Amino acid sequence: MDLGYFLLIASLFLSLFSSYSFFKSATARGKEAKKHAVNGERTLYIYTSLIIMSYILLTYYFLVRDFNVFYVYSYSDVHLSLAYTISAVWAGREGSLLLWALFVSILSVIFVKVERKDVVTALTLSISSSVVAFFVLVMLTLSNPFYRWEYYPPDGYGLNPLLRTPEMALHPPTMFLGYAGATLPFAIAVSSFYLKEERWYLRARLWALISWIFLTVGIFLGGWWAYKTLGWGGFWAWDPVENASFLPWLTVTGFLHGIMRNRKFNSLNYWLAYLSFALVVLATFITRSGVIESVHAFEQNPEGWMYLALIAIMAIISGYVYLRSKHLFHTEAMDFKSRDFTIFLNIIILLLGMVTILAGTVAPTLLKNVTVDRSYYDTVETPLGIALTIILGICISLGWKFKKSEVKKAMLLSLPAGLLMFAISYFLFQMFYVSLAISISTFSILNHVKTFSKSDLRNPRKIGGYLVHLGVLLIVIGVAGSWMYDEVYKNIAVSADGKQSVIDTEHFGRISLKLESLDRKDFPDRTEFVARIAIYQNGEFKGFVNPKTKFFNLMRKDRVVNGVDILSYPSMDYYTAMSGFSQNQVFVELHLIPLVSLVWIGSGFVIAGGTVSAFLKREAAS
Amino acid sequence: MEKSDKVKLIIGVSLIAFSILVIISFNQGLSPYLTVTQVVEKGVAKNVQVNGTIVPGSTVYYPDNNTRIFKLSDGKSTITVKYTGALSDYQEGIQAVVRGDYENGIFLADEVLLKCPSKYEVKKEEVR
Repeated sequence: MDLGYFLLIASLFLSLFSSYSFFKSATARGKEAKKHAVNGERTLYIYTSLIIMSYILLTYYFLVRDFNVFYVYSYSDVHLSLAYTISAVWAGREGSLLLWALFVSILSVIFVKVERKDVVTALTLSISSSVVAFFVLVMLTLSNPFYRWEYYPPDGYGLNPLLRTPEMALHPPTMFLGYAGATLPFAIAVSSFYLKEERWYLRARLWALISWIFLTVGIFLGGWWAYKTLGWGGFWAWDPVENASFLPWLTVTGFLHGIMRNRKFNSLNYWLAYLSFALVVLATFITRSGVIESVHAFEQNPEGWMYLALIAIMAIISGYVYLRSKHLFHTEAMDFKSRDFTIFLNIIILLLGMVTILAGTVAPTLLKNVTVDRSYYDTVETPLGIALTIILGICISLGWKFKKSEVKKAMLLSLPAGLLMFAISYFLFQMFYVSLAISISTFSILNHVKTFSKSDLRNPRKIGGYLVHLGVLLIVIGVAGSWMYDEVYKNIAVSADGKQSVIDTEHFGRISLKLESLDRKDFPDRTEFVARIAIYQNGEFKGFVNPKTKFFNLMRKDRVVNGVDILSYPSMDYYTAMSGFSQNQVFVELHLIPLVSLVWIGSGFVIAGGTVSAFLKREAAS
Repeated sequence: MEKSDKVKLIIGVSLIAFSILVIISFNQGLSPYLTVTQVVEKGVAKNVQVNGTIVPGSTVYYPDNNTRIFKLSDGKSTITVKYTGALSDYQEGIQAVVRGDYENGIFLADEVLLKCPSKYEVKKEEVR
């Protein structure tokens, strides 16, 4: 048995003990409570250190290429560079679970350091410690990263070549930090309800926001990677793995809106906190257990039941605590003409989105031998998206107190401006959906500008929120352009004799490709064939692209990768991949993707906005 | 009717309309997989998706027209698949979904989907 395994066994018992001590301290009184709290805190530090040590140990096994450790063998090889060797630690299921446990315990340590040391904090840590114990238990029983097999192979099986990009190296840890972060708002919600602490949402906000920021960055990195990887259907293809990460994002987003008016949405917020936690556990299960890719995985992999059990147990605890305490919280009635009501609608739409995406994601698992086409998501989520962006503009113009004259003034400007922008953009681009998106966005943005005053510059929550909204609107325009008007030309043969290959496109005129050179480059771990191709649009030279085919020298069989190269302009991406080559020609796949740049710029605004918003002082949030 | 009732009515109606939309598009979007055996039994099948495993050692690549011919199997039956175009990360022995037409014993694929790489686990038997 490996040292790492012993560290994990010790962490299991210590995290359970810590959870027990914190629970005791929250329910006992006086000296007794104090004693238990001290015990809980000490063991929290110890088990966190042990998990950090086991994580470092696993990384060490990777660095020294200890292929006797099966996990190291599975995800690395002797040629793998230092950076990717470090990232290989979280390339598979076992390492990801270790990362989960590591992040929850580190966040718990930070939590105990920055929060008031009261009963709510104690009970919150009791719950988060039990979550750590759960993930350690999964590793000990079914997914042991330290498992040593009977072989000492000289080389490893190798990290999947597709994962060898900076985005994919960073995507899992950001995602898992977001997942781990969602544990705390949930734990705070349950603890506070149990202990009848009404102002719980003030504590939960920062942690929910941290979770949200990392979820957003993680989803962005995943989308960026998928975009640059051939065969993944662009930055978002409603793939189960992508959906899984998006589900908790939707509920955490709803939560962050709901807690702005906790008096009205106290119960809803409580359940949004639970849902977010349940969905991050589900997402871990979906992305790391292989349940989606094969209908048989569920029976073969008993781990699935453990995750479902965790979700169910936490649902029972949440339900019990809720029923016990709900009469203590009164919820104020809502005025239909207030901003509260539009926030309520916004949360409902986010929840509808979550439920429909979830249904599409799990359907292939529940019903055998079916897939859910992209058309399902496109027809269902598009109206929700449109409703959300329109409500966004109306919501902002309403104000917390409804004033008819103010609203009228805002609408008198934004409505005609929106319509005008529709006409202008349609005249310019002749793309209906893009024009629609631009017109709705103009309407929304103008209402935002109208309601922003100079004094708001000192309000990080408002600036942050507005930046996020602006980013979302930009993404909407980018999505409309890149999804509705992209054009794909597969298998264009570009001849080596210098003759141009000509394509007559639907929206973008005549595109010509000319092969300048085809070179072979040798690297220690791979050989690349790089084509240099000039792109012309309507006779005008646009630039060069260098798509390539990479052959990795690995034991793995999936070692030929078609490298993508993109020529980016703000208005359009010329996206190329080399799909094959022979002596006298190369085969190119060309995608023309308008306005996709807005998706990236918009994502930047969303992330920046979330970060700004995190700087809000807690007292000011009330 | 009270104003608040009107609002509730509007929300109720839109929710019902949305649910109908979801149910309809769900039924339309749900496309069944066929197994290789089912396709072979049919003899001719247009615009279907077939789930199977790429038979190791069966792939022939023709660089002059960037075409791959490989065999897809479900353990019982095997079909020959022809596909022209890019296939990044292609490997034999893994699951694939092919979409296209089956006729005269050959499956002409418009699309080949290979299963997600990040979840692809090494099978212990494979390396022994």
